[in-house]
Amino acid sequence: MTTEKLALIPLLPLLAAAVTSFMRDGKRASIFAIAALLVSCVLSLIAFNEAWGMAADDKPKLFTIPWLAIGGTAINFGFVLNPLTGAMAAMVTFVGSLIFIYSAGYMSHDKRMARFFCYLSLFAAGMLGVVLANSLILFFMCWEVVGVASYLLISFWNHKPEAAAAGKKAFIVTRVGDMGFFIGILLVFKVTGTLDFYTEAENGILQQYDLNSQMAFGFSAATVISFLLFVGAVGKSGQIPLHVWLPDAMEGPTPVSALIHAATMVAAGVFLVARTFPLFEAGGMLPLVAWVGAITALVAAFIALGQYDLKRILAYSTVSQLGLMMVGIGAAGVSVGMFHLLTHAFFKALLFLGAGSIILGCHDEQDIRKMGGLAKPMPLTTIAYLCGTLALVAFPFTSGFFSKDEILAGAWANNQPVFWVAALASLLTAVYMTRQCMYVFPGTYRGEHAPHESPKIMTVPLLILSVFALGLGALARGSILELFPGKPVTPHPGTVVAVSIAVALGGIALGFLIYRGRAIGQTADPLALKPFERKFWFDEIYEATVGRLWTLFTIISEQLNALLLFIRDLAVEVASRIGTGFAIGGDRKLIDSLAFDGMCARLRFAGRTVTRPQNGFLPGYLRLIALGAVLLTALVLWAK
Amino acid sequence: MTLALHHYLILAAVLFCIGLLGAFSRRNAVVVLFSVEIMLNAANLNFIAFWRFGTNPELLHGPLFTLFTIAVAAAEVAVGLALVIAVYRHFRSVDLESLDTLKEE
Amino acid sequence: MNEVTAFWILAAISVIGALVAVRKRNLVHGVFALLVFFAGLAGLFLLLLAEFIAVVQILVYAGAVGILILFAIMLTDRVTGKDAFRVTSRGSFWGAIIALAVFLVILLPTIREIPLIENATPKDMIVEQSSVKELGTKLIEPYIVTIEVLALLLTAALIGAVTAAQGGRASEKGENTE
Repeated sequence: MTTEKLALIPLLPLLAAAVTSFMRDGKRASIFAIAALLVSCVLSLIAFNEAWGMAADDKPKLFTIPWLAIGGTAINFGFVLNPLTGAMAAMVTFVGSLIFIYSAGYMSHDKRMARFFCYLSLFAAGMLGVVLANSLILFFMCWEVVGVASYLLISFWNHKPEAAAAGKKAFIVTRVGDMGFFIGILLVFKVTGTLDFYTEAENGILQQYDLNSQMAFGFSAATVISFLLFVGAVGKSGQIPLHVWLPDAMEGPTPVSALIHAATMVAAGVFLVARTFPLFEAGGMLPLVAWVGAITALVAAFIALGQYDLKRILAYSTVSQLGLMMVGIGAAGVSVGMFHLLTHAFFKALLFLGAGSIILGCHDEQDIRKMGGLAKPMPLTTIAYLCGTLALVAFPFTSGFFSKDEILAGAWANNQPVFWVAALASLLTAVYMTRQCMYVFPGTYRGEHAPHESPKIMTVPLLILSVFALGLGALARGSILELFPGKPVTPHPGTVVAVSIAVALGGIALGFLIYRGRAIGQTADPLALKPFERKFWFDEIYEATVGRLWTLFTIISEQLNALLLFIRDLAVEVASRIGTGFAIGGDRKLIDSLAFDGMCARLRFAGRTVTRPQNGFLPGYLRLIALGAVLLTALVLWAK
Repeated sequence: MTLALHHYLILAAVLFCIGLLGAFSRRNAVVVLFSVEIMLNAANLNFIAFWRFGTNPELLHGPLFTLFTIAVAAAEVAVGLALVIAVYRHFRSVDLESLDTLKEE
Repeated sequence: MNEVTAFWILAAISVIGALVAVRKRNLVHGVFALLVFFAGLAGLFLLLLAEFIAVVQILVYAGAVGILILFAIMLTDRVTGKDAFRVTSRGSFWGAIIALAVFLVILLPTIREIPLIENATPKDMIVEQSSVKELGTKLIEPYIVTIEVLALLLTAALIGAVTAAQGGRASEKGENTE
């Protein structure tokens, strides 16, 4: 396969996005977008096949376009093919195609279906760009395209205020992470002078290891850079403390949740860590990655226990699983984390699509308390959903079992506390999934309108995905672990296997015992404790801290201004008093009118002046920006 | 006296700051817009001056860059004026002092 | 008239043009001053042997941009010079101070580098080297993709401008009823 064809993989969906943006007819747009993605899926599979032939340490295939030349240094765009990118591209296009097909059914009644497929294609293009990019800057650009597409899709139903707010929230929260990422990129460029991951001359970022130069406070360059990149990954992958946007993102249409907020985009953060793994290794950041992942996995699993919204449970489950992937990368290496990423993409997409089918069948009802007894009217969906559930709770010999086992084994070998946290998170996973299934499938229907099964265009992708959710793990285990960098632990210690089976089965049993025979939906839920239901008050905490801090800043600056102006006025006043005292002697009237009233007037004027920086006065903002620029330049000149 | 690079640079700095002055101190949004144009033109003068006095003028980087700047600036003016007109429709004014909806409450 | 005299005259024209443009109460007069500024700058470009840029400057700025601004002023009337109306915004003194600070910040490094650059003399150029033909080749050959993207940007900007200026249907109706 030529490397030019590799560039076609992201370009085809981009083209589809451009063309469908002019279309009005939803059906035609969907056919066009699906066709483009299918072609790029075929290309990815060819590329994947070729990459699979490479040995782990083979030179990757490169395709570079110079983009910007500044003096002697060039910033390149480029694509790279190695087992990691090949597998990701194949996964993204394959799962993406199924989700596209499903969406054609799911969105068929929406008036803006053509626009929906335009955004979806844009997203696919960006995501494939992220996967295949060979330079950090292209990676970052595509990363942002993906962010924009995600924003557009979350707030797709922008007539709902929650959806619009959720889109904004997702965009702004991930922006916090992206800021770190961007500074990291600039630092990389400063330290290494290139932004390419790999180059023919073997001096790409990931091929040279002279990153141990000291940077600041005794940290090496690699430490600082990998920390900043990790901040970006945390934002995108919904790790604590930046996870708050992901559950809200469920306001978007369900296929979007499946594609973006379960299978692909949120995994981009994990992928970033996997991609720049040598930096993390050199910088010694892996324990941090593992710990952030473990804590996220645990906290999100707890929160998932207390949720009633079908999709929100899955969203927190996604956050939790992403945490486990981080544990996998941090404690056991790229291959293990990526293995879980790939299997998770399949079964979580399956679960979301199943949830979409359920929601559609129950007439846009998302509250699990109003469902129940869906096994009979929706048999295909039920089977598919149960397959996904089994894979997610790591039931023995499903795909989730194999990947989670590797993570636990790696954590056991390298970092035992993390192992126990991850094991507890896995147990909770089994409990909340069982809880959800007990609410939804058995018993009698508690909603108003009778549920119905979804059309074939939606159930067929579900069934295909279920096959992969069950079988992919056993099938791909050997080759993935062998081809990706980082060797997993073999053989697994008996404790790990025992614990991993025990948490899966024990969790299911626990959930079953708690919810069996309970009048579900009528009585209070034993696990929906207040902290879980309120998501550990993360949103409230942010509002109370970040929001307050901002207000505090304004108040402080106002007071400072007031103080300065008051001192100035006092000085002026003293001078004028002395002056009037000398000139007019004891004329109290004059002193009153000039000095006292004048002072009052001046104070009032000062009060108005004080509020100036915060009152929406546009030239004032402009001046402050310029003042900032002046100070920065002065700093640079002075530092020279 | 011969003309050297710094004559042009200082002239450009003066022009730039006149533009800045306009942007900072006028109430009318249209004036602010054409102050921005003055600033852009000052930057163009710098490009051309650096090109003329630079080491290899035959590459024509200065004029090329200036061409791009002019093209983008033309687009910017069109969009900027459209925004001014839209703002005028909405607020019935282009007075920057009355456009204070950025403040809280 | 030698080069130096021309430079000072053109510099004076552009500085005065710019100053009048940003200080004039009557906006229409301001725009005419702005046109003078553009023309002065075009003259400076000519002085630097960038003929094509000078022509483009006249065409685009003096021709198109100036007229566009004039239209915008006429569409947003009642600001063309009422005597009671304060021209400067609140605290324009501080604006001037900050502008001056920016000026100093730009000026300082320039002055510091003067010993380095004062002897840089412009290379002699054959007219062909900066001819339009040469410029076109140098523009199209390496930057063709950039130009296409720029064309797309301009189109998008124009469409956006038309949309923004057109406003919603509702607001137009509102205008009519007023």
